[in-house]
Amino acid sequence: MDMRTEVRQWLEQDKVDVFLGYKMIEGHPLPHFFSKDNLEEVDALVTGPARYPLEKIASSIATEKPGIKIGLLGRECTQRALNVLYIWNQLSPDNVKTLNVNCCPSRLEAHGDCSYLEPKPSGDYKKQMGLDNNMATEQTDIYSQEERFSRWIYEFQKCIKCYGCRNICPVCFCKECSLEHPDLVGTGALPAEVPIFHMVRAVHMAGRCIDCGLCEDACPMDIPLRLLYRKVNEIVKETFDYEAGISQLQPPFSVLGDTVTLEPKPLEMA
Amino acid sequence: MEYKFVPSVCSYCGTGCGVLFQVMDGKLMGTMPLKTHPVNEGKLCLKGWNLHEYINSDMRLKSPLIKFNGRFRKVTWDRAIQFTARKLNEVVKKYGPDSVGVLVSAKITNEENYLAQKFARAAIGTNNVDHCARL
Repeated sequence: MDMRTEVRQWLEQDKVDVFLGYKMIEGHPLPHFFSKDNLEEVDALVTGPARYPLEKIASSIATEKPGIKIGLLGRECTQRALNVLYIWNQLSPDNVKTLNVNCCPSRLEAHGDCSYLEPKPSGDYKKQMGLDNNMATEQTDIYSQEERFSRWIYEFQKCIKCYGCRNICPVCFCKECSLEHPDLVGTGALPAEVPIFHMVRAVHMAGRCIDCGLCEDACPMDIPLRLLYRKVNEIVKETFDYEAGISQLQPPFSVLGDTVTLEPKPLEMA
Repeated sequence: MEYKFVPSVCSYCGTGCGVLFQVMDGKLMGTMPLKTHPVNEGKLCLKGWNLHEYINSDMRLKSPLIKFNGRFRKVTWDRAIQFTARKLNEVVKKYGPDSVGVLVSAKITNEENYLAQKFARAAIGTNNVDHCARL
């Protein structure tokens, strides 16, 4: 069935109260709310090519209007993000309906609707001093530990602390963020505390990051964040056999909720 | 529920990054970078990311203030402009036009900046014009 016909049916039959998709407005593909009141607009529904964190928008609406039934365009990364949001009770799967659409272009898919996450080539200076954003995590092992450290520090010290990586992240939903906690990260000052700022975020992305690439896309300084969080989640996969976005349980090292599966290490006395 | 996405331009500096406002029932809920904007290509700085916070801030000044007897009081725009014009005239008459400087802004349009320098040169009669982006 045609995508637009399906969305119209969902709205007409009250399967969803609103549908979150994209519409071309002033030449830009912008996220748009389709509802029963403006059914004729559904003809203008498009799938891309830009990608916004629709699932994040959906969960912010669900917080304001509990019980609202939301439909949204779902790429593969959207599905993974939704899984994480369900696990952490930010959204209820009963209230969300996704319309599956094409993902980023890759070797497996000839046609993609989300061209904005295509890897952009890194420049020569960046390759010489820092890290190529398109590297596979194993490839970083060709550098010695000292070199790898200095390359990461080069990347981190560029940070202008815009908090864009956190703000755009579809699986960041905490009311109080560690990155704004004065005891954990130096707040209010520039440059960002290197590498603590990025390490705190990286630790929080363990078992959380669904590798959608929105953070790297939003980073004004081109820091290879996706590579960093991929590395963190490889460790999670190796150690706990947990894959964020695919596993149906909360991460094994979660300290929220009733059960703590990891023995906390006792603090060493000085 | 009415939820809209409104494309706009960041009002902080003169770069002109594209932003996307999230508006729920007439209230600004959040700001996102405009992914397809040619200037910022989906990136924003800290100030751009927080546009909704200063628009909704209680500290925001919504009307002009004039100081009477050491305390600021809200006045109408008409009154404020009359007051400023009178004071400027007094200063120019007493100390000469070069005692006045006009500082224009990156946050206003090109045309408004043009008008401001025209005002400085033609109305006041000074070349003391500077721009906040020329730091």
